[in-house]
Amino acid sequence: MKYAAGIDVGSTQTKCIIIDENKQIVARALTDTGANITRAGERGYEAVLAAGGIAREDVLCVVGTGYGRFKVSFGDLQITEITCHAKGASMLFPETSTVIDMGGQDAKGISVQNGEVVDFVMNDKCAAGTGRFLSTAAETLGLALDEIGALSLQARNPVRLSTVCTVFVESDIMSYVAQGKKIEDILGGIHSAIAARTIALVRRVGLKPSYTFTGGVSLNIGMVKMLEEKLGAPLNVSPDSHYMGAIGAAVFALEHALSATTAS
Amino acid sequence: MTETHYQGKLHHLQKELMSEYYSALTASANGSGVPAAYLLIGGNPVELLRAFDILPVFPEVNALQLAVRKQSLPFIQSAEFMGYSSDNCAYVKADIGMYFGGRQTPFATIPEPSLLLCNYVGCNVYLDWFGHLAEFTGQSAFQLDIPFIRSASGKPSKEDIDYVLRQLHHLIGRCEEITGRKLNEEKLREAVRLSSLTGDLWSKIKHLTKRTPAPYDAYFDSVTMMAPLYCLRGTPQGLEFFETAYAELLAKAEAGIGPLEKERFRYVIEGPPPWPHLRAFRDMFSRWDAVAVASTYSTVGGLWEFGFTHDPDRPLESIARHLLEWNLTNRNFLQRYEQIERYLEEWNANALIIHSVKSCRLFSAGQGDMREYFTKRGVPTLLVESDLEDPRYFSEAQMRNRIDAFFESIAHRPTREGVKV
Repeated sequence: MKYAAGIDVGSTQTKCIIIDENKQIVARALTDTGANITRAGERGYEAVLAAGGIAREDVLCVVGTGYGRFKVSFGDLQITEITCHAKGASMLFPETSTVIDMGGQDAKGISVQNGEVVDFVMNDKCAAGTGRFLSTAAETLGLALDEIGALSLQARNPVRLSTVCTVFVESDIMSYVAQGKKIEDILGGIHSAIAARTIALVRRVGLKPSYTFTGGVSLNIGMVKMLEEKLGAPLNVSPDSHYMGAIGAAVFALEHALSATTAS
Repeated sequence: MTETHYQGKLHHLQKELMSEYYSALTASANGSGVPAAYLLIGGNPVELLRAFDILPVFPEVNALQLAVRKQSLPFIQSAEFMGYSSDNCAYVKADIGMYFGGRQTPFATIPEPSLLLCNYVGCNVYLDWFGHLAEFTGQSAFQLDIPFIRSASGKPSKEDIDYVLRQLHHLIGRCEEITGRKLNEEKLREAVRLSSLTGDLWSKIKHLTKRTPAPYDAYFDSVTMMAPLYCLRGTPQGLEFFETAYAELLAKAEAGIGPLEKERFRYVIEGPPPWPHLRAFRDMFSRWDAVAVASTYSTVGGLWEFGFTHDPDRPLESIARHLLEWNLTNRNFLQRYEQIERYLEEWNANALIIHSVKSCRLFSAGQGDMREYFTKRGVPTLLVESDLEDPRYFSEAQMRNRIDAFFESIAHRPTREGVKV
């Protein structure tokens, strides 16, 4: 069996995927990117090869994506994560028209047709509305990042935040804590504010179902529900949504390898 | 990766002539006795100054030269230390910082102005800029009030033209006071005649990029030609530069030579370049074999390619028309759309790139709508943002990500004509 790999070196985490010739995911690996981006790609690749028990020589092609894509020096191609998220989302959910991606430091809206990017928008140099905002909020409340989503669903009277700024949200949260507001109501307000901001961003490429939610924040059930409520439509979410960029990169890698074989 | 290394005759001549121009500025600063006028690029009436042998000084050109040489930030910071806001136009801050830094730049010592000619009303910040310069230099600012183009036809009314003409007569009076000389009408006509010939050549150069491949990049190479267009227009040297440039670029066009080895994408670009990161920005397009075939920025000082020419028989009226009608900054938004549409159609471009400037909200306002307007018409359009002067606003990784993703997306999709690019 031959394989193809996708390596998504993101700002916070490096996601690696190996697929087989039938586009089935056979291995995944998640590692922290850290300060050494060159090393992050290599480390992630070693981890995914080990996870799948796959030898390097059986991998036909490797595609790097994410901010660190140019540091995947052993890769055959570099493709942006925007194109890769569209590709990955369309593989897992072929009906996808809009991808909503919320990662560690950016949020994106991607309009997709037949797996290809029609248009996209991203947040600018500001972490409002990204995973970083949620992790700051969790930290301020003394909670783990993976518990805030479920807690936010218990909100009865969500607070209204005065900011979506990742820095200023701390003082907003502290003032609500001081007022004696319930943690779940504060979390409900946080998720509501971020969902609204994200939808406003994605609206610029058009809100067209079916929606696929990708990136690390797609693991947050509170955000999934809040986006669905505000969109009035269900979101496609997979346990592998976090890996979507790497999945797309792996599909590109496989297509590239197959076209090279055909050409030769 | 394709990189751009093109340095033709015109680039060398530009360096030589601009160096002479800057030497004249330094000489004026050191007491040569030649008076200097500060004025703005938008529709600049430089011919009138030529008639009085007044040196034109463009604070915008000085500011961008500082940015290209990566010298702008200390001046910006010293202006911020004085109290200018971080959101303020970075051209203004670099200029004010430079003024208080003794007017010393790596390319010239900028002379004190004998005339502050604020010839552009499109920007209220520019009014304040020249107002501040008036306070700092002790010179009063001469405000040329140029009415915006308000009509759907895009033409100024007779009253608009008369209004500007009356002001030009006042300006002549001011120049006569400064120089102690009456207007030499023959000299004015000669400057306008030289501008007319220069403008015609510039227009022909602009039309050369209709060819495939385009013989030069209408954004990154046009900026090389824009400094002589403003600083040397209306002089024999300015005309010589454009004769050389046209001959060289025509020869390239005839030989089928472009600035890149291969021309894969042809795009139109709106907005000024990120001067402090010009090379990095250019390479982001070059690696996609993408060439700008038209740019709106190169029409800020004047729009010649759609038929404008100075008329030596009616020198003041043609200067007035240049100020009113034939420069990008005084045109309304629908005219800006129309200009881009013409470029897309007639220059056969596949895409539109909008580079929005953070510290210029006035010019950048409406570019979000512009993106929507062209996207809805099936033109692949990318809006990116940084700054024209402040290096801190440029995030290379984010900029590259957007540009790469944009070209990845159009590489796979048919254009509005249904043809794959």
